[in-house]
Amino acid sequence: MTDLAIQSAPALSKIKKHYFATPLNSTITVLLAAFTAWVLWSLFNWAFLDAIWGYGKNEECRAHEHGACWSFVATRWRIVLFGLYPFEEQWRSALACIVMLIVAVLSCVPVFWSAKRLPLLWVVGFVTFYILMRGGFFGLTTVVERDWGGLSLTVFIFAAVCLLGMPLSILFALLRRSELPWIARTMALLIDVIRSLPLLSIMFTFAIVLPFVLPDWAIGDKLYRVIVGYAIFFACYQAEIIRGGMQAIPVGQEEAAKALGMGYWHRIGYIVLPQAFRNALPPTINQFVITFKETSLVTIIGFFDILASGRAAAGTADWSFATIEMYVFVGLLFFVFVFSLSRYGAYLERRMSVGSR
Amino acid sequence: MSDQAISIRSMNKYYGGFHALKDIDLDVAHGEKVVICGPSGSGKSTLIRCINRLEEHQAGTIAVNGIPLDDNVDNIDEIRREAGMVFQNFNLFPHMTILENCTLAPRLVRKQTREEAEAIAMSYLERVKIPEQAHKYPGELSGGQQQRVAIARALCMAPEIMLFDEPTSALDPEMISEVLDVMVGLAEEGMTMVCVTHEMGFARQVADRVIFMADGEIIEQAPPGEFFDNPSSERTKTFLGQVLGH
Repeated sequence: MTDLAIQSAPALSKIKKHYFATPLNSTITVLLAAFTAWVLWSLFNWAFLDAIWGYGKNEECRAHEHGACWSFVATRWRIVLFGLYPFEEQWRSALACIVMLIVAVLSCVPVFWSAKRLPLLWVVGFVTFYILMRGGFFGLTTVVERDWGGLSLTVFIFAAVCLLGMPLSILFALLRRSELPWIARTMALLIDVIRSLPLLSIMFTFAIVLPFVLPDWAIGDKLYRVIVGYAIFFACYQAEIIRGGMQAIPVGQEEAAKALGMGYWHRIGYIVLPQAFRNALPPTINQFVITFKETSLVTIIGFFDILASGRAAAGTADWSFATIEMYVFVGLLFFVFVFSLSRYGAYLERRMSVGSR
Repeated sequence: MSDQAISIRSMNKYYGGFHALKDIDLDVAHGEKVVICGPSGSGKSTLIRCINRLEEHQAGTIAVNGIPLDDNVDNIDEIRREAGMVFQNFNLFPHMTILENCTLAPRLVRKQTREEAEAIAMSYLERVKIPEQAHKYPGELSGGQQQRVAIARALCMAPEIMLFDEPTSALDPEMISEVLDVMVGLAEEGMTMVCVTHEMGFARQVADRVIFMADGEIIEQAPPGEFFDNPSSERTKTFLGQVLGH
């Protein structure tokens, strides 16, 4: 008894000190605690106790108004995940998504962090993804890009934008830092102009205006034009992030490399970029998160990304009441993705701090 | 091989309108050890940074081992391979281990294999007495240890000339001697050295010639005995009075 009292005394006194110091303080604590408990209980009630589970119970859901209708997810999840992709071919879309996921996870493993392995991994991943999604090979029926949708489309756009945008952003950052003033200034102007345009207008331009300007052979599918436009937009932001990371490197680093007789590309590749990326890691992760979430904008030019597919799934008369459930489901998918990205960023920061000054 | 390791003729350097180096003439013979001293802002660091083109001079000529330092990038690279440099702030690469710091340039520039480069690096790390730190990162080492690594890193490129830019100025007093010991050892082996330093004891012990600079000009140069005991210019006397006074 006495032991327990001694042990719990500090904790108790802490609680008292922080939450029940004055009568006003105590009142606020009690009120807020009650409110929080009520919110959590209502949420729990809605999401679990009153919820309706199982396949195809839309009539019951409609009758039963005060609970979540998870039956919507159980019934319509394929539309949310795969959009307009032909029903009997959806296993391909799922497999393609899993391939991308595996590639993403593998590229987080340090074994693959070499200039040869990482690009190879992504090229193999992309080719597999494309063959699975597009078909036309190995007896798979062709599914054109217009019919892609849902999670796999979102993942595809995100991965393609990052992979195209990342090398582009390094190039932009290097040009922006060029010793020749006219190159540096032109690049600065270009970055400033593109950054000052809304992403939406860039997507529109690339999707709709560009076909009038480009020769026929260069037009390509609307999807790829949008990806290129988005990648340029991404690269402008990311270039400034990388440039910031470069500016944080002490001048002595490049001087030391010069004094050792290392040429420009060696200095950039071995001394400047590794340190710039380490300095710029938090804003880079941030940029990835924003990019992933903004893929939803492609809806507006007629693509069924995961959000649009969700709306389509809840868009029929049968399920029109299930918008909240749909947004919760889609939101959860976004959360899983973005949260793992930020956890990975935190892991990288911890790992890299080993070699920091 | 030319007869002078470094040969500078009426070299001028400007920062915008500021005349940083004025008509510098300087020859350094093979195997010679030259110490440059002078008050801060006198241009001594700028001078040795011009020798490997970390700073660009605007007039006059510089030749290292007979190779003219001009706008020819190949010449610049060759000179940088001939002349190793040690900096005040060490400038080790923080994202690489000590061994990687020492092997990077030999592998990239001298095209050595990893095994070759590592064997050479370890031999130099032994010479500067820190082979056991080879797999640590610079941030885990003391300042004196880092500077010794920086010397080993420069030596791994097998340079003929070593440039030292105030190598002990950023060190805590108790670490200065461990770095100077390494430099003395290097001098005894016949390395051509140009050192910007305030360590007058080192200058007296090692230098063949001491150069005094002020306001971008070489004011006086003499063998250390003469320089310290019987300086000819008033400014040198004042400076020595300040440096050696206490």
